[in-house]
Amino acid sequence: MKMTAASRQPTPAASAPSAAGEAQGKAKVMKDSTSLAQRWRGASNLVPALLFLGLFFFAPLIGLLLRGVMEPVPGLGNYEQLFANSAYARVLFNTFSVAGLVTLFSLLLGFPLAWAITLVPRGWGRWLLNIVLLSMWTSLLARTYSWLVLLQASGVINKALMAMGIIDQPLEMVHNLTGVVIGMSYIMIPFIVLPLQATMQAIDPMVLQAGSICGASPWTNFFKVFLPLCRSGLFSGALMVFVMSLGYYVTPALLGGAQNMMLPEFIVQQVQSFLNWGLASAAAALLILITLVLFYFYLKLQPESPVGSSNAR
Amino acid sequence: MLLTPNAMSRRMRFGLYTTTGLIALFLLLPIVFIVLLSFGSSQWLVFPPPGWTLKWYGQFFSNADWMDAAYASLKVAILTTIFAVALGLPTAFALVRGRFRGREMLYGLFTLPMIVPLVIIAVAVYALFLKLGYTGTMFSFVVSHVIVALPFTIISIINSLKLFDQSIEDAAVICGASRLQAIFKVTFPGIRPGMVAGGLFAFLVSWDEVVLSVMMASPTLQTLPVKMWTTLRQDLTPVIAVASTLLIGLSVLVMVIAAALRRRNEVSA
Repeated sequence: MKMTAASRQPTPAASAPSAAGEAQGKAKVMKDSTSLAQRWRGASNLVPALLFLGLFFFAPLIGLLLRGVMEPVPGLGNYEQLFANSAYARVLFNTFSVAGLVTLFSLLLGFPLAWAITLVPRGWGRWLLNIVLLSMWTSLLARTYSWLVLLQASGVINKALMAMGIIDQPLEMVHNLTGVVIGMSYIMIPFIVLPLQATMQAIDPMVLQAGSICGASPWTNFFKVFLPLCRSGLFSGALMVFVMSLGYYVTPALLGGAQNMMLPEFIVQQVQSFLNWGLASAAAALLILITLVLFYFYLKLQPESPVGSSNAR
Repeated sequence: MLLTPNAMSRRMRFGLYTTTGLIALFLLLPIVFIVLLSFGSSQWLVFPPPGWTLKWYGQFFSNADWMDAAYASLKVAILTTIFAVALGLPTAFALVRGRFRGREMLYGLFTLPMIVPLVIIAVAVYALFLKLGYTGTMFSFVVSHVIVALPFTIISIINSLKLFDQSIEDAAVICGASRLQAIFKVTFPGIRPGMVAGGLFAFLVSWDEVVLSVMMASPTLQTLPVKMWTTLRQDLTPVIAVASTLLIGLSVLVMVIAAALRRRNEVSA
């Protein structure tokens, strides 16, 4: 590489006889080279993917967003409608409350699981982790269908509860809020467990030992030492789940009822049933904006980008 | 001390393990349930089933609609995998080895399809293909799936490429290989785990994709999830359980392959 690099980048220092001098020269080139070709070395490899995404992702996306202010008449009419109409405002409210509830429940269920994976002997932990991964990679549609059958009035869960004498008549658990929250919390658990477990794994047990040696009761130790140490994992997991929940379509569409429509379903309905592209696009713009803002905070919580500025080798 | 089970009070440990067991069961419940149901003899999905049968599998495999959908799914998934890896490879190289500015921003740009809600991508791409008259074609399926699969392949390949020591490739060049030869014969084998993982991710993403596919589908061309989706909205026939089991089966198979490959790499490394 040294030789080819030198021949490709004719610099004053490249002809220096010693390897050290050459390395220095290279560092200098990287710092103050101003030639365009130099600065974009290797960037041509980006062309195919950029072209593809530009043509089939960014262009349609921008096109869609433009329709929100162009159709049916230019202006912000669609946005006004979105906030003024109480039925549409209700969709917005539903979207946020469902996402909030789902985040809460998946945290409640994901936390003990992540903790247990960290605590139990390695073999058991691996099995638990495999179960989490299996559920994550199992077809979304298959799992949703399964919940549909499990939760229906004549389904197994209702029958079991009735047989145990806990309830007298079947509970309504599908085509309403309960169904959506159960189905979506179930889907989101892995997205809490995986980051949280990684955070917990990294906590030095000695810190907790120090806590208890200094006289902290197990409860104090848990709330004052352990939980704060888990915070980054908890926050990034919860934020990710919240963002993903805002944009979910399949599960709410199948397990929810008409009265708890969320934004994604609303967008599809506007496009497919009412051909109202303007309103759909305004709703889409809103959803993208919320998603990107929340995702920005998510990135702020991450320690570093995978293509960090150093790129050292 | 809380991070060792021995140090916990007996009651606390019991509580945690019971909760964990229940949550693990909760995670497994719908998956096991649907697989069992596909073998149950009840038309009305009664559980536990009155008897066991392969009748629904027979119906699935003898129905041309379902078979066409399964075949289309497989074809779309394979094509998506090929294109996602082919587009992801050069991108990952540029992002890891490039020395130009704005790489982080570009990385963000390439992972954007993972963040933007699927519904919005689906509607946007649908609008484009509607204009071009491409809806319901294999092309529209593959293009839309590649958009969402691409971030997965790029990330996997980047991870592998960052671990690969470029001086090995340089050594090959010094020994007389051309840069391209070195990349193909030295670097690609070196980053194979990332390429394979990225390919498998792309396959799974496409294989299970519902939202984009529902938008792209036409009566003549639909994937398995689309066929399930449309059938689901009419009735809950056990044939859907069969299709679900097949979707789950292939996902599990791909996961096992990925795990086996990872283990082999650990051993050889």
